[in-house]
Amino acid sequence: MVEDTRLTDAELEQLDQTVWESAPVESASFEEAVAFHENLPEHKRFADVLESADRVLTQPRAGVPRLDDQINLLQTLTGEGDADLLPTTIDSYTRDNAYEKAQAGLGQSRETGENELNGFPAVNHGVDGCRRLIEAVDAPVQVRHGTPDARLLAAVTLAGGFQSFEGGPITYNLPYTSKYELVETIEYWQYVDRLSGAYTERGVPINREPFGPLTGTLVPPSVAIAICIIEGLLAATQGVRSVTLGYGQVGNLVQDVAAIRAMEQLGTEYLPEEVTVTTVFHQWMGGFPRDEARASGVIALGAATAAVVEPDKIITKSPQEARGVPTAAANAAGLRTTSQVLQMLSEQSVELEGVDREQELIERSVRSLLDAVFDAGDGDIARGTVEAFEQGLLDVPFPPSEAADGDVLPARDDDGRVRLLKFGNLAVDSEVKQIHDARLETRAATENRRPSFRMVADDVSAISDGRLVGRPGDD
Amino acid sequence: MSEPSVVVGTIGSDAHVVGITLLEHALKEAGFDVRNLGAQTPKEAFVEAAAETDASAVLVSSLYGHAEQDCDGLHEGLAETDVDPMTYIGGNLAVGQSEFETVRRQFREMGFDGVFDADVEFEEVVATLRAELGMDERSTRLTRARS
Repeated sequence: MVEDTRLTDAELEQLDQTVWESAPVESASFEEAVAFHENLPEHKRFADVLESADRVLTQPRAGVPRLDDQINLLQTLTGEGDADLLPTTIDSYTRDNAYEKAQAGLGQSRETGENELNGFPAVNHGVDGCRRLIEAVDAPVQVRHGTPDARLLAAVTLAGGFQSFEGGPITYNLPYTSKYELVETIEYWQYVDRLSGAYTERGVPINREPFGPLTGTLVPPSVAIAICIIEGLLAATQGVRSVTLGYGQVGNLVQDVAAIRAMEQLGTEYLPEEVTVTTVFHQWMGGFPRDEARASGVIALGAATAAVVEPDKIITKSPQEARGVPTAAANAAGLRTTSQVLQMLSEQSVELEGVDREQELIERSVRSLLDAVFDAGDGDIARGTVEAFEQGLLDVPFPPSEAADGDVLPARDDDGRVRLLKFGNLAVDSEVKQIHDARLETRAATENRRPSFRMVADDVSAISDGRLVGRPGDD
Repeated sequence: MSEPSVVVGTIGSDAHVVGITLLEHALKEAGFDVRNLGAQTPKEAFVEAAAETDASAVLVSSLYGHAEQDCDGLHEGLAETDVDPMTYIGGNLAVGQSEFETVRRQFREMGFDGVFDADVEFEEVVATLRAELGMDERSTRLTRARS
């Protein structure tokens, strides 16, 4: 059974060997990798830049198959979008550990000049390819992906000079796949975190970032925050000292502000003192309007929310979100829309009514979820996570994975905050449930219908249809 | 008489489940007995579940553009069982911007009884199934008897 204990040096060494054995590219020595990191200038050190910033930093998502194109793309995003932090988004084959397919797609892309993969196949580019990328661009770069078994990807990219690595055993399992048990992904990510810890101990802090938006569809803030804190704790055990907790915009200003505040508060409280906790706010991760002007409106609301609550960074969307992978120009446009709003609001102090109450409700729910996890594991957070998901005490809406029950069903209340219509076996107390019920009854009365999955169906497409709450008769 | 049994799921390597989850609720509410196979379901699992539940209908969801490859052999598999369910498919069925009518024809030729696009309303799917399975006559009588 999996346990939340630090891998020993011997275990790390052995895992390292196993991981590199499966690699389609040459391994790199750890010493040499540390030396490469040490030679990077200050402005490319991810954790330092993020943790010392005195304003909200912007970061897009971006990944194309060929190295030169990826360099150009990232240069466009800093040049035309003023991105503070850079991403490298990994392709789907690599996320699936299908390196041969990724290699074929990369080969095809080189032949045709078209992008035959939906991201950057970092493993196939190898340590040298990654280093060329890091050297060529002018900001810190993070690996962003969705890989349940990211051991080799982490080994290659961290040796290749990346200093931040997104994901975790829950947040990169439940939303992405039905193939893995949590016990498996927790073990995989213990290696990723231990490797990050090993770099950290050599003076190269690797920033780790749980993927807060999860399934991207009406995820209740308390669930997202509890899961990110669990992943932060697991990472801390392995020696990670820079953790960025993530949260995806739901679109209700008060709830979003309350959620970020709750995440900051609880993150600092739950994670060990030696860990520096930062936060990331993701602009809306659900369906976007196809109309680019409307999409920019969604982006601007996310930026305004971030300007009010000031997370450490914001992940931006592009006005072409509804159409798939955006052009570099559209991606830069999303960054500019965001930074315009951030700057116009930066000197203003905005007080929103109701934030405290909402924050209290979120914190209370997070605490009760985390209590349940600790209890289920007799104090061990790794075991507790497995047990809690098995019993449905912890759950997420719309999981493709059987590792979560998926018995919770979310819906927006009358002013668009995400509540739960069905709780399944989720470990929140009856008073919290009553509050959710009451809020959904209010909406039901406004709409003259019973609270049901129909509200959820209407909510899922509401933002792409031009509003926040899916009201009946909207189409 | 027991409720008609239907099998739903997302086929292939596709991990999109929001639609299929909500469809499960819609069908249950409309009086169907639903087996939801969830995400990334191989075609063999649809066949197996259809046989196991004596399904009246199989509803396949696909949103990532590879439905044609993923469904290849599904109907042949069903033909080898003792059940003969109606088959439906819905979602984004082709990569790129093909005309929906072309897509519909193509999937009808593969053996599907009905083809829905990604914007279809749950009500329409439910109504289609109820009509095809002759549930409306029964339920009209029931509603009258209750009221």
